[in-house]
Amino acid sequence: MVRRRWMRCGGKEGICAMSIDQRPPSANEGIKANSRFLRGTISEGLTRVETGALAENDQQLTKFHGIYLQDDRDLRAERGRKKMEKAFIFMARLRVPGGVLTPAQWLAAETIARERGNGTLRLTTRQTIQFHGIIKSNLRQAIRGINDALLDTIAACGDVNRNVIARVNPWQSRAHAEVAGLAAAIGAHLLPKSRAWHEIWIDGEKVTGGEEEDEPIYGRTYMPRKFKVAIALPPSNDVDVFAHDLGLIAIEQNGRIVGYNVVAGGGMGMTHGEPDTFPRTGDVLGFCSPEQAVDVAEKVVTVQRDFGDRSDRKHARLKYTIERMGLEPFRLELERRLGFGLAPARAFAFGDNRDRLGWVQGDNGAWHFTLFVENGRVRDAPDRRLLSGLHAVATLGVGRFIITPNQNLVLADIPPERRAAVEALLRSHGLDAPVRGLRRNALACVALPTCGLALAESERYLPDLVTRLEDELERLGLAEDDITIRMTGCPNGCARPYLAEIGLVGRSPGVYNLYLGGAFDGTRMNKLYRRDVDGDAIVASLVPLFREYAEHRSAGERFGDYVIRAGHIRPTTGGNRFHLDLAAELRP
Amino acid sequence: MPSLPLLPETAPFPSEQILALNRIMSGTSVEQRSWLSGFLAGVQAANAPQPVASAPPARRAPLTILFATESGNAEALADLARKAAGKLGFAARAVDMADVTPAQVAGAQNLLVIASTWGEGDPPQRAIDFHAALMADDAPRFEGLRYAVLALGDRAYVKFCETGRLFDERFAALGATRVAERIECDLDYEAAANTWIDGALTVLRAELGEPDAGAVIHVDFARAPAEAASYSRARPFEAEITEHVRLSGSRSSSDTWHVELSLEGAGIEYEPGDSLGFVPGNDPALVETVLAAAGLAGDRQLHRRLSEQFDITTLTAPAFDQYVRLTDAAGLLRQEGWQVIDLLEAAPHRLSEEQLLSLLRPLAPRYYSIASSRKSVPDEAHLLIAAVRYQSLGRARNGVASVDVAERRKTGDGLRVFLKPNPHFRLPADPERPIVMIGPGTGVAPFRAFMQERDALGARGRNWLVFGHRNYTHDFLYQLEWQDLLKRGVLSRLDVAFSRDQPENRYVQHALWDAQRELFAWVQDGASIYVCGDANAMAKDVHATLQRILAEQGGGDGAAALDALRREGRYLRDVY
Ligand code: SRM
Ligand SMILES: Cc1cc2nc3c(=O)[nH]c(=O)nc-3n(C[C@H](O)[C@H](O)[C@H](O)COP(=O)(O)OP(=O)(O)OC[C@H]3O[C@@H](n4cnc5c(N)ncnc54)[C@H](O)[C@@H]3O)c2cc1C
Ligand SMILES: Cc1cc2nc3c(=O)[nH]c(=O)nc-3n(C[C@H](O)[C@H](O)[C@H](O)COP(=O)(O)O)c2cc1C
Ligand code: SF4
Repeated sequence: MVRRRWMRCGGKEGICAMSIDQRPPSANEGIKANSRFLRGTISEGLTRVETGALAENDQQLTKFHGIYLQDDRDLRAERGRKKMEKAFIFMARLRVPGGVLTPAQWLAAETIARERGNGTLRLTTRQTIQFHGIIKSNLRQAIRGINDALLDTIAACGDVNRNVIARVNPWQSRAHAEVAGLAAAIGAHLLPKSRAWHEIWIDGEKVTGGEEEDEPIYGRTYMPRKFKVAIALPPSNDVDVFAHDLGLIAIEQNGRIVGYNVVAGGGMGMTHGEPDTFPRTGDVLGFCSPEQAVDVAEKVVTVQRDFGDRSDRKHARLKYTIERMGLEPFRLELERRLGFGLAPARAFAFGDNRDRLGWVQGDNGAWHFTLFVENGRVRDAPDRRLLSGLHAVATLGVGRFIITPNQNLVLADIPPERRAAVEALLRSHGLDAPVRGLRRNALACVALPTCGLALAESERYLPDLVTRLEDELERLGLAEDDITIRMTGCPNGCARPYLAEIGLVGRSPGVYNLYLGGAFDGTRMNKLYRRDVDGDAIVASLVPLFREYAEHRSAGERFGDYVIRAGHIRPTTGGNRFHLDLAAELRP
Repeated sequence: MPSLPLLPETAPFPSEQILALNRIMSGTSVEQRSWLSGFLAGVQAANAPQPVASAPPARRAPLTILFATESGNAEALADLARKAAGKLGFAARAVDMADVTPAQVAGAQNLLVIASTWGEGDPPQRAIDFHAALMADDAPRFEGLRYAVLALGDRAYVKFCETGRLFDERFAALGATRVAERIECDLDYEAAANTWIDGALTVLRAELGEPDAGAVIHVDFARAPAEAASYSRARPFEAEITEHVRLSGSRSSSDTWHVELSLEGAGIEYEPGDSLGFVPGNDPALVETVLAAAGLAGDRQLHRRLSEQFDITTLTAPAFDQYVRLTDAAGLLRQEGWQVIDLLEAAPHRLSEEQLLSLLRPLAPRYYSIASSRKSVPDEAHLLIAAVRYQSLGRARNGVASVDVAERRKTGDGLRVFLKPNPHFRLPADPERPIVMIGPGTGVAPFRAFMQERDALGARGRNWLVFGHRNYTHDFLYQLEWQDLLKRGVLSRLDVAFSRDQPENRYVQHALWDAQRELFAWVQDGASIYVCGDANAMAKDVHATLQRILAEQGGGDGAAALDALRREGRYLRDVY
């Protein structure tokens, strides 16, 4: 990685991006600066009927509106021959702090997917919903539908703070309310102030373009890169609090949240063959009070805004800024801007980063059902009629729909007298069938056919691979053991694969890198175990390890810990050691 | 502008004079030309060398041949009749119903009416005014008019030859004298039509004294350039398929093919707007089923004849009665939508080869708008063909020709084609004139030809295309080409309507309605409006919408306004 020196800045905060390194800013910086606060020529582009796409620069800007231009990669091969451009479609991503939706909002989302999208909903690892397959002529209608449901897609993508995710534990009604409340507060505070979204998608843009505006927190060029915040509540680490630019670990004392440990510099993405890019688990900086949390979030953002790399997007995330500055200089800059020091971090302990499926009764008597949604894809299959089932439940009009960071759905706050009704619907739609240990702990990113960056299948492939592995686990008597397995179609890490006990990362069609040794509670990343393996080789490499594990594990020992103890893989102690300590044959 | 018989190179003039005369002729109206022919005949008679044969000065009996046509068959026949009549000594003129009123015809003494039927028993659109005026209570009387009617039609339609029949009855009711029984021709009309024409002419002639044939100039127009395509329906050209691509996306609910044909050496000089015709081959499987149902399975030789020569799908009314007679299946009811195979299987009966063939009409050619311009692809013709497939009465039905091309032909195969000119669907003579092209589905084919032509000519007139289909992603025919034409400014505007992309169905007429202000502005700038494609739904809805737009924007009577455009030749349709 290009080493760079930094000057501490005295002067007014915000104008002190003191990199003395002279590399030119990346193209995106210019696009942002000249976009009239994220307007660009999107509105004009929407009127061009001859193409399903938008102008290059506008494609970057729509991301800030939660909208991606994609194309159906299954169809790429045939298009030219048929004298048609790529099969362009848009993906729109909701902003749902904490993942909490009302039944009415769920129904609205479902309608939009049916009428304007590809008929499915995609629950994401950041607790929101993605609509796929929206063609340009339907885009505005889709976004208006979202707006009518009192939702939006603002800043769901782009170089801004993304959807803030938070622990899903409605059964602890008070703690959940506080955590979800903080997620909403941070989300609102860091939301771009530009009116562009409303002008372009809802009201129709004034021809002249928006009046001069200001982005008090971001400025005209927003962040150097995406920025992500997650809030955890031990013992659950369902949000993978170490995988985000900013993590907050709620510290609970007899039912009250007394404050948050501050974690900074996490992130998953890397690029194959570029060892100066790597996934990183964030560092615990200290502790802040609930009142200080929003301010802490803002100041971490502004430090990254000013010190983040704006020349090379591959090194622009906060994790690289911290690697470059060093943790202490970063903390000092942060505390200087806060005007107070962070207290020493409080003790905390995580148990797992998964969801526990099924019914739980909450402290206030209400019932909560955590529903398994394989890879977050909500559609009707013959045996599991998710879309229809959830439609039926939503029409009961009770409770809340909470999307989990593990792509599942919690039907929360069901009054005791309505539980039977919900249960009946789940049963009649085949949604109460038991799920075995590996599958219920599996995550896969979207990948093909919509993701433009996918190198291999993920969502469409992992279920089959899991079936093969589960048959083996069955034979070894491990069918009900919880083992986390996560697959992504490329190294960007959307399903946080580097934090799984078994990680699979796409290299090329049908070919993956196999990572082992992640901690079950999401506190330790895994490490490369096999390079370029296909399905058969994956099964062949894992089965012997499963067998050993079945025979030699100590009581309660997790698979991810076992493979390290047994010497199959070295532990990854930090992001900058992710690519190190590899078996000889794997060293570059 | 109706196609003109031009002086052949064989005419007794120096070639530059032939050119000059042709140039002048091509500018003349039907009336002017017929006046001229009469005048020349007169002059000729007057200056006849005295006294060669003591013949009376030529008195050529006037004959009006009135045709109502949509796709040109009636017009072609009218032209043949005119020539035949000329030989027989008539001063004959062929008149398009679009150009005259009943009153103008009332004066005529001898009249041949050649009329086709369209839609579901409607007159061809250009004959609508005449038809209406003739049916009106204040229609003129035709005492003293001798007439006969030739009706063109297709027995596949319920109202077979309806228009011809109505004309026939109406002229009689208005006092005219029918000199020959009306003939109703099916798609294979040529032979029957020719004999009938000769017959009718002889009858008419018999009622006049022998005219002076000597004074009549016999010119055989047969080889005149306008009809030069020596390849004809009777003698098609074997064109090689050089490109055969399914344009519809693999997930499209429709199945539309782009077919490129090599016309090298054919000398088929088509113009944008023309169509190519070809006689398809039947689905071998269906042929076998039919033979089996008739108890004639396995007859190789008969199989070949059925495949290539007979229409084995259409069940015509006469064929049905014939079958009932043959099999005395009295009481058998003909069901809506029945094809030959349905009948054969509903009342099975062993048939002899003759009996089976007696139920079948000859396999008729199908026509496809040419989607290319020779200026851009010399020696090639491109077609855009939508495979017709549907379920009916529990059976999967396939369009004979479209599915033949889609499924049974491939690159390298041949297609036996002939030119079907459509002089009534041409680009404006003026390259500056703006045009609006409304062509959903395969209706876009001729507009691809129009654009190639205008592009090649560097014509400066603005071009507006309104396209529609089912799904933007899978059915945007020639999308990349339209993008290129827009980028280069050849295509000035594109509007689209895809019916199945959103909850509410959206069709081209909705796109037109949304753009009504601009559309009206274009019309006021002299734009010509072209409509091509589906006749049953689309053309009607677009027609109604155009009327509403003209009313809304122009104030006043939209129907009249659209009619006026049609008469000016600025509202042209090629619908099927
Ligand atoms: C839907 C989702 C995966 C899922 O199966 O749930 C997803 C899908 C995509 N991610 Fe992601 N990411 C998703 C969570 C993540 C996460 C996990 C997280 O945030 O907890 C990560 C790793 C954490 C991180 O950011 O480091 C992640 C790291 C990336 C990256 C790499 C970023 C980096 O700086 O390294 C990219 C590529 C980029 O930004 O250039 C990316 C880009 C994408 C895009 C938009 C591809 C693109 O840029 O064209 C994918 C859209 C695919 C599709 O067709 O829908 N996505 N992405 C998740 C949506 C989250 C949300 O609702 O906002
Ligand atoms: C001047 C002209 C230009 C044309 N240009 C084109 C062109 O550019 N591209 C093109 O694709 N076609 C074009 N056509 C139409 C084309 O000529 C044929 O009519 C069409 O391809 C169908 O022919 P076929 O032999 O495949 O079907 P046929 O075997 O002739 O069967 C068609 C018949 O099937 C019946 N039928 C069809 N669909 C249904 C249904 N859903 N339910 C019940 N009955 C049904 C109808 O009776 C219809 O007449 C044009 C026609 C004309 C007259
Ligand atoms: C869309 C369409 C509709 C038709 N409708 C009828 C009809 O209702 N009755 C009929 O007898 N013939 C009908 N025909 C057949 C035509 O009359 C026949 O093709 C005739 O030869 C056309 O002559 P023209 O080229 O002079 O118009 C129809 C043909 C088409 C393409
Ligand atoms: S991990 Fe890669 S392939 Fe999977 S969704 Fe993210 S960007 Fe696409």
